[in-house]
Amino acid sequence: MIRCLREVWGYRELIGNLVMRDLKVRYKNSVLGFLWSLLNPLLLMLVFTVVFTVMLPNYSVPSFPAFVLCGLLPWNFFTTSIMTSVTSISGSGHLVKKVYFPREVLTISNVLANFCNFLLALPVLFALMATFGIPFTAWLLYLPLIMMVELLFTLGVSLVLATLNVFYRDTAVIMEVLVQAWFFLTPVFYPIDLLPATAKVLGWTFPLRRALYIVNPMASIIASYRSILYGNVDGSQPTAPGWDFFLRTAITALLTFVIGYAVFRKHSSRFAEEV
Amino acid sequence: MSVIQLARASKCFELHANRARSLQELVLSVVQRRSRREREYLWALRDVSFEIGRGETVALVGANGSGKSTCLKLLTRILEPTTGTVSVLGRISSLLELGAGFHPELTGRENIVLYGSVLGLGRREMAARFDEIVAFAELERFIDVPVKFYSSGMYVRLAFSTAISVDPEVLLVDEVLAVGDQSFQDKCLARIEQIKRSGVTIVLVSHSLETIRDLCDRAIWLDEGRLLEDGPTDAVIQSYLAHVYGEVEALAWMKRHTACDEADLGTDASQGPDEVEREALPLDESYPHRPEVLAARRRYGTGRATIDSVTIRDGEGIERDTLRAGEPFSIVIAYQAHERLESPGIGIAIHDDHGRHISGTNTLLSETEIAAIEGQGRIAYRARVLPLMPGNYYLSVALHSADEREAYDYFNLGYMFRVTLGDSVPHLGAVLIPAQWEWSGAAEEAGR
Repeated sequence: MIRCLREVWGYRELIGNLVMRDLKVRYKNSVLGFLWSLLNPLLLMLVFTVVFTVMLPNYSVPSFPAFVLCGLLPWNFFTTSIMTSVTSISGSGHLVKKVYFPREVLTISNVLANFCNFLLALPVLFALMATFGIPFTAWLLYLPLIMMVELLFTLGVSLVLATLNVFYRDTAVIMEVLVQAWFFLTPVFYPIDLLPATAKVLGWTFPLRRALYIVNPMASIIASYRSILYGNVDGSQPTAPGWDFFLRTAITALLTFVIGYAVFRKHSSRFAEEV
Repeated sequence: MSVIQLARASKCFELHANRARSLQELVLSVVQRRSRREREYLWALRDVSFEIGRGETVALVGANGSGKSTCLKLLTRILEPTTGTVSVLGRISSLLELGAGFHPELTGRENIVLYGSVLGLGRREMAARFDEIVAFAELERFIDVPVKFYSSGMYVRLAFSTAISVDPEVLLVDEVLAVGDQSFQDKCLARIEQIKRSGVTIVLVSHSLETIRDLCDRAIWLDEGRLLEDGPTDAVIQSYLAHVYGEVEALAWMKRHTACDEADLGTDASQGPDEVEREALPLDESYPHRPEVLAARRRYGTGRATIDSVTIRDGEGIERDTLRAGEPFSIVIAYQAHERLESPGIGIAIHDDHGRHISGTNTLLSETEIAAIEGQGRIAYRARVLPLMPGNYYLSVALHSADEREAYDYFNLGYMFRVTLGDSVPHLGAVLIPAQWEWSGAAEEAGR
């Protein structure tokens, strides 16, 4: 794997150029360009704010727009990355069949392009936080670390999905449904504290809140972002993420990446025949 | 020292008639416990071994589906061999498909950098080559325009220039020389020739045997994935042609392409200094023209006189695109001389649909005096008997100077006509000889 990664490093120039290509193409043909990419999370934020503060007012989360955007931006980075990565190999048949380069370059550059968008959207979040008077604390310094963990996890998932879609073309369709479900199961627009600590299904009691964190790494990743940026729903200051579960999430993300990359590498020699 | 080495390399493709193509099918087949049917395999290459030394230029020849392209893809590492080993030393650049990495929304400049990095070159290295690439592609004016606005010719020129500029140690070329207009093709060939001289190892796949003969010292003939012959180009081409068309034609081809092709038409097919490429009229596209024919089909000349129209007529003088074997016919050429031209030559040639030269002549050879031409005029070529067998034929027409050095308008393989069996006596073979049998009695008498 180290050898593979070193080979990919040799192609960093190509990755950089592909990322530039994605960004340029995305922003070239529209006047509003980059603003469009901000519009989507901002509109969603607006919708959730209307729903949960005007239509269902008993939710009472302070500074709700900042709360939502804080989860929405990382979530959008994750979903747009995996949804575009699904076709990152199968949609580049013209390249894969004609030129040799490590195939993961395509998926990695796609995720990185989305990561750049994520970075570009962060100032808006900061502006919103400032508007609501949420203090910027030293915990903000942990932001890059959390972002790296999310990036690793996203890469791992993307690599598996890209591989899967080369062989089974309905992966993209299935993923649309799954991502939808995943969105509702992840505390993006609701605080996880809202859920009952335990739940009873078919007579079996299990710790729902804990289970959600363990099964869904995105839940703990988003909770970590919230913790250092927004603080707690009871209105307290931003704090350190829960270190025990953050560590566990980091390990999960690393494992996801390693396994995802191994799966990708195992099958990548056959990509040219299958796309 | 060998740069490329294939040791008993085989490549097997699994044919997917039976494999689940979607997760849905996969789940269904598990649920229904459908027994896995026999998988089908296709061996695109079997046990192929060869070595290519530094600086060699080698062609891969063979029919479609013989494994040539698979072989090139193994060399580029796009595919990995099922069994055996493939090793290539040094930087490879492949002209497998031009412009594969181009993005239509980006400008030519941005695409050059992107394509360079696809081929493994850094931004700085590409910047150093940038001017050279643009100059070769002749796209100085359009380099900052998104390539989606390029014509297909401009696109291909840019792609070729970029791919060729990466200073490869091994260059793989697959059928990409048949791109762009004639002058750019010539330029590409010249560039490849130059690269060859600089000591780069080249592996080339082409259906144009002439190109192969011009460029390569060695050829490898693949047939249904197996290596049939590996040796000097001429010998391999001859066995390949003999296999496809038979011995006699193979020899004829070799002979024809060694000597000059179109002596009787007047000027040599190579262009003189002031002669320019002219637009060739389209051919009937429903007919599967051979690539050799299409490659040789071109129209050029100085334009001091031009061919206005060429019509093929039957014995009654009625215009036809189909003639009957053994019956009278004529070819009428309407021309226009844009200035007074003293004693010009006007020629025709007929090739069959394999591109074989069947017949040809010109007014100088047949000593038909044309003192001078000026303005519009017509000339007819008439015969009482059409001695051609049923089939499709190409007609070339030329207007040229008396010394045959200047082509005014030369349209090689410009027109097509068909010949059907008329009321004439059926013949076998290549020509119809307008003859009758006369039997003169018993054997002993005839013997006397």
